[in-house]
Amino acid sequence: MLSEIITPDLFAAAVRLATPIALTAVGASICERSGVVNIALEGLMLVGAFGGTIVALLTGSVWLGVAAAVLASLLFASLHAVASINLRSDQVVSGTAINILAIGVTGFLIEMIFGRPGNVGLSDNIMAEQVVGHPVRIVTTIQPVFDFPVGGTGALAVIWRWVDTIFFSYTPIVYVGIFLAVFLTWALFKTRWGLRLRALGEHPRAADTVGIHVLRGRWVAVLISGAMAGLAGANLSLEQVGGFSDSMTNGRGFIALAANIAGRWIPGGGYIASLLFGFVDALQLKLQLFSDVINIPPQFFLMLPYVLTVVVLAGVVGRAVAPAAVGKPYKERG
Amino acid sequence: MADESVLPLTPSVAPASASAPILRLEHITKRFPGVLADDDVSLDVSSGEVLALLGENGAGKSTLMNVVYGLLASDTGTIRLSGDVVDIKGPRQAIDLGIGMVHQHFMLVEPLTVTENIVLGLEPTRFGVIDSAAARAEVLDISQRYGLKVDPDARVMDLSVGMQQRVEILKALFRKARILILDEPTAVLTPQEVHELFGIVRQLVTEGLAVVIITHKLDEVMAFADRIVVMRAGRVVGETRPRDTDEAGLAKMMVGREVVLRVTKTDAHPGENVLEIDNLHVMDDRKLEAVRGVSFVVRSGEIVGIAGVSGNGQSEIIEAISGLRRPSAGRVLLRGKDITRSNPASSIEAGVSVVPEDRRRRGLVLEFDLIENITLGDQRRPPLSKWGILDRRAMTSVAKKRIADYDIRTPSETMPAGNLSGGNQQKLVVAREVGRDPELLIAGQPTRGLDVGAIEFVHKQIISERDRGKGVLLVSMELDEVMSLSDRILVMFEGEIVAEFASGDVTEEQLGYYMTGGGKADRAMQAGSADTKLPRGEHG
Amino acid sequence: MADNGSNRKDPKSRHDLADRLSPEDREKRALRDKASIDRVLRILTPFASVAIAMMIGSLFILASGHSPALAFSALFQGAFGSQRAIGETLLRSTPLILTGLALAYGFRSGLFNIGAEGQLYLGGLAAAFVGVLVGGLPWFIAVPTILLSAFAAGAAWAFIPGLMKARIGANEVITTMMFSYIGRYLVSYLIYGPLSDKSGIPQTAQLPPNSILPRLNTLLPFLQPTRAHTGILIAIVVAVVVWLVLKYTTLGYEARAVGFNPLASQAGGISVSSTIIKSLCISGGLAGLAGAVEVMGVYGRLFDTFSSGFGFTGIAVALLAKNNPIGVVAAAILFGALSAGAGTMQLEANVSQKVIAIIQAIIIFLVAAETIVTWLVDRSRKKKAVAPVAV
Repeated sequence: MLSEIITPDLFAAAVRLATPIALTAVGASICERSGVVNIALEGLMLVGAFGGTIVALLTGSVWLGVAAAVLASLLFASLHAVASINLRSDQVVSGTAINILAIGVTGFLIEMIFGRPGNVGLSDNIMAEQVVGHPVRIVTTIQPVFDFPVGGTGALAVIWRWVDTIFFSYTPIVYVGIFLAVFLTWALFKTRWGLRLRALGEHPRAADTVGIHVLRGRWVAVLISGAMAGLAGANLSLEQVGGFSDSMTNGRGFIALAANIAGRWIPGGGYIASLLFGFVDALQLKLQLFSDVINIPPQFFLMLPYVLTVVVLAGVVGRAVAPAAVGKPYKERG
Repeated sequence: MADESVLPLTPSVAPASASAPILRLEHITKRFPGVLADDDVSLDVSSGEVLALLGENGAGKSTLMNVVYGLLASDTGTIRLSGDVVDIKGPRQAIDLGIGMVHQHFMLVEPLTVTENIVLGLEPTRFGVIDSAAARAEVLDISQRYGLKVDPDARVMDLSVGMQQRVEILKALFRKARILILDEPTAVLTPQEVHELFGIVRQLVTEGLAVVIITHKLDEVMAFADRIVVMRAGRVVGETRPRDTDEAGLAKMMVGREVVLRVTKTDAHPGENVLEIDNLHVMDDRKLEAVRGVSFVVRSGEIVGIAGVSGNGQSEIIEAISGLRRPSAGRVLLRGKDITRSNPASSIEAGVSVVPEDRRRRGLVLEFDLIENITLGDQRRPPLSKWGILDRRAMTSVAKKRIADYDIRTPSETMPAGNLSGGNQQKLVVAREVGRDPELLIAGQPTRGLDVGAIEFVHKQIISERDRGKGVLLVSMELDEVMSLSDRILVMFEGEIVAEFASGDVTEEQLGYYMTGGGKADRAMQAGSADTKLPRGEHG
Repeated sequence: MADNGSNRKDPKSRHDLADRLSPEDREKRALRDKASIDRVLRILTPFASVAIAMMIGSLFILASGHSPALAFSALFQGAFGSQRAIGETLLRSTPLILTGLALAYGFRSGLFNIGAEGQLYLGGLAAAFVGVLVGGLPWFIAVPTILLSAFAAGAAWAFIPGLMKARIGANEVITTMMFSYIGRYLVSYLIYGPLSDKSGIPQTAQLPPNSILPRLNTLLPFLQPTRAHTGILIAIVVAVVVWLVLKYTTLGYEARAVGFNPLASQAGGISVSSTIIKSLCISGGLAGLAGAVEVMGVYGRLFDTFSSGFGFTGIAVALLAKNNPIGVVAAAILFGALSAGAGTMQLEANVSQKVIAIIQAIIIFLVAAETIVTWLVDRSRKKKAVAPVAV
């Protein structure tokens, strides 16, 4: 049975399932490094997933959907930025407000556009045509980027199948995620922008006194995290699920925050920590197939990612040091 | 108080440039809710001169300079640079105009390196990527040019306070400052470091900079300033030169009345031991030993002062005695009772009261009103509580009594403590701690940031506790205070007590020597050990 | 800055007054004015926030092509239009009072118990389980026992997050949120499995009569029949108890001190870690009570979707009430009314119930960003006052 569980597609599934969390965790690291806590990432991911699905469905283009996902998240992220940065409100509370707003607005818009509450799938093409008034191209989820032949027998072919599954079987946003994790880690420590960003999160007044725009720098960081969450949402709805439901993010935004902490506020670290969560998620799904053999109720498998988050936090927090000024509003001169 | 033979630097003999001053303030006014911080202030500074802006805490000096640096906006008035009116909207403009400021609380990003802190905002880059080699070279270049040695790759959080101050000065010089403002620069330095600092200032002034030093320390003003402007309650009340006045004269201008510069107290008659510290070892937050085998006693009816540069273990000793930090070895005895392993609650119970170093963060709950703040520490005991229920009437009457006895100025006892002035907040803390009638009173930096009236009050309280037969442990960076209040003085350096004196038997300069490790080198050489440590101030 | 309106027209007398006030009196006057302004703002902000939120909600309604006026009047009808409607409002307010108290108590101690929803489920679970066990006992023993066990269940569910926060500083927002998901899955398993009433529907067995909270009209026969039950009385009593605890007990004092300033609290002899654990457990217990009261009063059993997000609505309730227990009752009734009227609004004005969630979110948003209101109030004051006297 073990050989049925440990297969190359388990690891590939781990990467795929990790991606929404990973993208969000990378965004969280940038945001928190600048000094802003972003509890709203859950809602931003949801809004991204929603925008992606609706626009893809109604326009017939998944790529417009991805763009819409990012734009929708940026819009809501701006709300969080205004509240936290300009109005200096409690960042955790305003983030929570956006999470609730996200659920409300997405549900409201579904009813407004489609005339009935509930979920929307990419396959609801007929409904889309009724809304738009003319035939719309049918969309499916985005396909993997590469499509190499994997036939053959023999050891070499088996190895190739492993390599192909683990490295070349993913959809575009997954690769974007890996790239951004590496790029942003490099940028954070090697570029002028990164140095200034880190100063903002540790001692914003020091940065202010040497001429760095604190509010503007933090805005950029919040918007980056919003865009990442939007990409995460697009990945969820347009590359994985193929639709939208208002509970689809299911706590991933919070798990991403934990992954960021485990990754010590380094984008690459958050990505790697997210892989762990992805792995447990993939494992849990696999094990459910064997649930009659193992005889554990499905709910316990579903619990696993959340239990893991708690365990990770218990092991990591306290040893990982947050940016000194994170969560504290900043007042420019008075 | 300065022994001039030890500080041979002479103020600049050549008068400051007779042409237009480089910086001129005209009729600056700045108001905050409830207080007029600066009231129609005008002054000027010339290149090549050291101007001391003197006044007690709350006189408006820092506010004024923060206006010049663009951190605050003045309500009225103009600022002229080399004759031209300028509008300083923020620190960025100030820097561009050649104004640099070193604040009391440094504007350094601790996890970053010296180089990163200095070039922050002006980083040498290639297409957005930082050129670390170039940055390092630029920092070394400017460090050599002005003779301010620093390690460009050290992380700021690992540096001593004096070294961090150097980095701050280099920051300003890196940005081609022509005017350098230093806000209370010597508050955190040893006498030797003060000496070095003023050497640096002299050199900068020779190169043509104008230096403004905000301070309340009369001896330094007399020794180092070319010109002195005295402020009181937001107004300029006098302008003079060191040769035309003396410390008493300056003090009178600062406070507006005759000031007793030394605390008067009767002789001590110490009794039995109140506090015994026996071979105490305490770790700090970074798991390094901050207190390394310290032993001393405080007897009833005496004030023991600990002199030392902050960060040499004094805070950890206070925390160990008051139960906030558990020692790793050794014993703490209060009137014979072992309180080594106690927590704050049981140490309060045993009779330890602490006036903490940071009244706003550790001393008070600013959102609580005065009644609830006075209750803090006693909320579990009669008469203020019984069976877990608070007796609000008792709390109020105790509070009212303390407010009256300790002269705390407030319109009401139900006002948030955060609304009180600094002096009244400290009085509130003292009222609570002394009002509990402790066996041992620990006072950490008890007069920091207070005006002269409040300082006198706090000193009187400390002496009265001692005269009532209590033990007092005083920890302060103000050597004047330690020397005038204490009956015995202990010097701490790197976690150990390196010297002990009866007050009156020691000079400030001697204390400074031991505070920077002088005694240790002597003792080490005597012991023939190769383990000599250089005094702090000589490190690169 | 005093607004001396009477002196405005007479500059000479204003200066005389200024000269007569000593600096200390001037400072006292300014401080007293500041304190009274703060008090006014504290009451003004919630009302302003609700008003603005309603206005923005109207924009959404307009955007969807419907009439806000019609929507809000239908809302009002559904919430207060008849005795039955009022009963419905009270019914929906009941769990919100308790979750509002849970969040408010946590906030006062500096803790954000976002996982109240999970603790609520655990409390409902305890009620469903214990309620069956004690059904044979008289109601004045059964009901308190069930409530106590629900409180304990909710508190237990908050214990580990509290411990983690106290010991290692783990962010309670993340941990309680995780426990919320874990709790809901756990309850789901139990309802489908061991505790199910075997009817094929995922629900527990019906509670025996002594474990059920009677309807209000049973208690007070002059009332018309509604679904409102005596749970509302329990909730109000709990609110008063929480208020008393916060104001008059050492426990409440220490909780508030830690919430404002853990460092000073520690120096003052308060054990910060045990206070954090106690506060989060009390908060969890209150949320557990909410779950129990719903199970005992509304349905008589526990099923999978018995909560429509009471734990999260509690956040808005607590914030709107500025964490004041008595204010929580008022805010809970407001949100209960919104919830009660939402159905009528959907039916008669054809407006999506999600508008309620939007309004709720905006209220939270505005309360958190009270600087807007402060700024507005401050600007209007500056226009009235001339040069300040006490300066």
